[in-house]
Amino acid sequence: MTERHKVDARGAFCPGPLMELIATLRHSQIGDEIEVWSTDKGSATDIPEWVKKVRHELVSVTQGDGYWSIVVRKAK
Amino acid sequence: MSGQPLYVLLCSGEREKLQMAAMMASVGAVSERRVEVFVSMNAILAFAKKASNEERHHGGRFSQLLSEKRAPEPLTLLRQGKELGELKLWACSMALDLLGWNMEQLDDELFDGPLGLTKFLSDAEAGQLVTL
Repeated sequence: MTERHKVDARGAFCPGPLMELIATLRHSQIGDEIEVWSTDKGSATDIPEWVKKVRHELVSVTQGDGYWSIVVRKAK
Repeated sequence: MSGQPLYVLLCSGEREKLQMAAMMASVGAVSERRVEVFVSMNAILAFAKKASNEERHHGGRFSQLLSEKRAPEPLTLLRQGKELGELKLWACSMALDLLGWNMEQLDDELFDGPLGLTKFLSDAEAGQLVTL
């Protein structure tokens, strides 16, 4: 049974949102999704780049009301 | 591990450079790169167990902004890099000698030991070297 975890990193500066995502991934199961909320503009490009590099899966990147929502699926 | 190892030679004690070194090292380490940081000169003062805020936070305009906006502390980022990736920190043995310090005076959770510059530079030939 996969789950979706939410990481509210709004207000955190680079690389805080990425670090919070990684810490959550470590305690997740393969197939789980992690939704990161970030007000750091760089997260919208940095997190997808990191996901590609370490071979997880990017589910979506969307802009909310003053923040970005980035959803990542744990692939390994 | 993938990609070239990253070697950071950190000499400046300015907060801006400590911050950038810590950001590069921690992001590199969590991106499946082996990272080694060699801390020397004024930079080592910021890693003392009893370092004052002045020793950890002096610098220019961005030093002020980093403090005012409560950006993550460089030492915190380095701890995260060590916890989540392969990151090693070395204390310059010459800097320790000049200060009359030993490893007990440094943040003991962060450092992997003392090291000489010759050994660090020799190791760094295998990767990308950045100096701050």
